[in-house]
Amino acid sequence: MKLSSMNYLFGQGMKNIWTNRIMSVASFCILSVSLLLIGFTMLFVANINRFVSGVENKNEVVIFLEDGMDEITVTAMENTIKNIHNVSSVVFYSKDQALEDMKNSMETENADQLFSYVGEDNPLPDAFRVRIDDIEEISGTLMEINRLEGIDSIKSPTDFINILTGLKRFIGIISVAVLLALILVSLVIISNAARASVEMRKREIAIMKLVGATNTFIKVPFFVEGMFIGLLAGAFASLITCVGYSELVKVLTQDMTLWSIMSVNGFIPVSEFVVRLAAGYAAAGMLISAFGTVMSTRKYLKV
Amino acid sequence: MVDLRNVSVTYSNGVDALHDVSLRINDGEFAFVVGESGAGKSTLIKLLLKEITPTSGRIMVNGFNLEKLKKRNAHKLRRTIGFVFQDFKLINTMNVYDNVAFVMRCIDSPIKYIRNRVPYVISLVGLKDKVKCYPNELSGGEQQRVALARALVNDPKLIIADEPTGNLDPKTSLEIVELLKAINECGTTVMMVTHEHELVRHFGGRTITIKDGRITFDDYIG
Repeated sequence: MKLSSMNYLFGQGMKNIWTNRIMSVASFCILSVSLLLIGFTMLFVANINRFVSGVENKNEVVIFLEDGMDEITVTAMENTIKNIHNVSSVVFYSKDQALEDMKNSMETENADQLFSYVGEDNPLPDAFRVRIDDIEEISGTLMEINRLEGIDSIKSPTDFINILTGLKRFIGIISVAVLLALILVSLVIISNAARASVEMRKREIAIMKLVGATNTFIKVPFFVEGMFIGLLAGAFASLITCVGYSELVKVLTQDMTLWSIMSVNGFIPVSEFVVRLAAGYAAAGMLISAFGTVMSTRKYLKV
Repeated sequence: MVDLRNVSVTYSNGVDALHDVSLRINDGEFAFVVGESGAGKSTLIKLLLKEITPTSGRIMVNGFNLEKLKKRNAHKLRRTIGFVFQDFKLINTMNVYDNVAFVMRCIDSPIKYIRNRVPYVISLVGLKDKVKCYPNELSGGEQQRVALARALVNDPKLIIADEPTGNLDPKTSLEIVELLKAINECGTTVMMVTHEHELVRHFGGRTITIKDGRITFDDYIG
């Protein structure tokens, strides 16, 4: 095909968008809504994952030691714990340090006076602060630590972690299912819109075939048309997603106390996903729309 | 040139549309094909366009053996034929110029040639002033002239006109057939399918009558 013909067909595709503007607008709207639904669902899932990961990072287990252990035993114990599978770090937290921290955390002016009553007899125990690699395997790790001698008690957010890991798995499954369903429904709706658009022009296609046009010659303008509508829908959906998401985050983070209690580091910032989102929207919009339209012409090309 | 040898068409519903038809229309001829509705005229045209394939028999059109021509290559055959239909079959979203130019664009004609040729052919059919009009802004006769211009523009060897006067008043019908006759005089083979016997009697010439899927008459009249 000559370059001049390609120019003509490209022009025809663009012209067809205006000529069949009602169907173009319908396709554009359907495509935009589908992309927005999928995009917002993905952002929701990504934020939930970020929240869960944020909580996971606070996976600190505190191991309180029995009173009166000497330094050598404590060092040996520290090394043993370090070597346990799934332990990422071990920090010794002395009873003196604990008392100091406790003093500092009390916001009363006469904390010193209050603690002077304690005197030399510090009632707080020595402890290890242990960080865990994989929060899902925490139960096994704790069991191994428990076997060691010299441990008074262990403080770990096991119940919370169990709920969290369960929730994470549940959200993972649900989000994949919802996303798949959304993609499937969108594909069906978009291909129906494309089919309706082509159906209106089946007479035109039949005439073109009868006067000697090749299938490619007929398909190219449909392809261009679909691509352009897809690109527009992708750009529009990107804009709405970024603006809508920013506004939503603004509203939700007005009172940060709630989020800080829930250990949320904040929502994913727009700048972190805007390029990937726009590229994904544009590519998905163009591909689905262009191929949906071209596939719909097939039926009418059999003249 | 059109050459049918012992062609039969039986549709899947059992209807015998054409039965053992043999027919030859030589280069440069003008032939009327007449017959009542359901006689097999439309089937004959569909065969020549390779819209359908015969149940048996052999068909040659403009050097193409339709038995061997693959459906995906049907455009090669169609580009050697100019078509005129009863319902004009113009693309409503294109103006007169673009409707005529479309068939030239299909065959990758150079832009310069299209720019010269299209206005010339449109003026030949008397529509010089309507170049920018859309089909719905034209009368039936004018639309058929556009269809004629489109059929002519690639200088085809053969023009097949399927009831070209079916939607037109008698005066316009005469004008359209006169135009087809003029085209034929320039050397193009014309096959005009019609059920208007009066028109055939008026112009005379080779007349082929189809009845119940068989050729019952093939001779010169008038």
